[in-house]
Amino acid sequence: MSKQSALKQSSAHDVHEVEDIETHEEPNLKGTFAAVMFIGVFIVVSWIGVYALYMYR
Amino acid sequence: MHVHKYEKIWLTFGIGSLLVFLIVLGWGAFYQGTQPPSCLVTLNPQNVQAHNSFKEENLGVQQVGENEYVVNVLASAFNYDLGKDEEGAPVKKIRIPAGANVTFQATTSDVVHGFHLSGTNVNMMLEPGYISDYETTLDNPGEYTLVCNEYCGVGHHMMSAIVEVYE
Repeated sequence: MSKQSALKQSSAHDVHEVEDIETHEEPNLKGTFAAVMFIGVFIVVSWIGVYALYMYR
Repeated sequence: MHVHKYEKIWLTFGIGSLLVFLIVLGWGAFYQGTQPPSCLVTLNPQNVQAHNSFKEENLGVQQVGENEYVVNVLASAFNYDLGKDEEGAPVKKIRIPAGANVTFQATTSDVVHGFHLSGTNVNMMLEPGYISDYETTLDNPGEYTLVCNEYCGVGHHMMSAIVEVYE
């Protein structure tokens, strides 16, 4: 195999990989999103609760 | 870099909350002047009476202005020393008018004690060698328990006093 054809081959291989990533389906993160937001909202609500208690007293 | 749209939402939410918390913290510290109750005012824990605020006759409630009070408290296992009444009996209950400006100054002559006026924001740790102080206004009349919330020994649960806020 000549050097040139080897280069060609490797670049063709790279293009194939890029295409692979681009056409890759997005992972389903619905459950992760719900879990993250649940914890986030819980932290914010508890923080506001404690802060309100401090300001009220 | 590809970022999932849900990731964008929670990153925005997380960074946003962090900024809000930091702004509130900075506002409290630099604008409102909130600081730890023990601000490095020191005294000799073996001889607290050498400090004017903790001399026998200065313990308890002192009126220092028209509507200003100072409460000097010497904590030790397992008691809050609030001075003595006319008959020489130890004071276990002090009275403060509602809406008055009160500064609690307290220290300990032995181990670490707590100083928590239950139901209010008055909550400090008393460390040997340091004077803890808290300035506040008690607006709601009622009886509040001054309680030790740092485990200080076998009599810890008996360490308390009463602060009555009257109209």
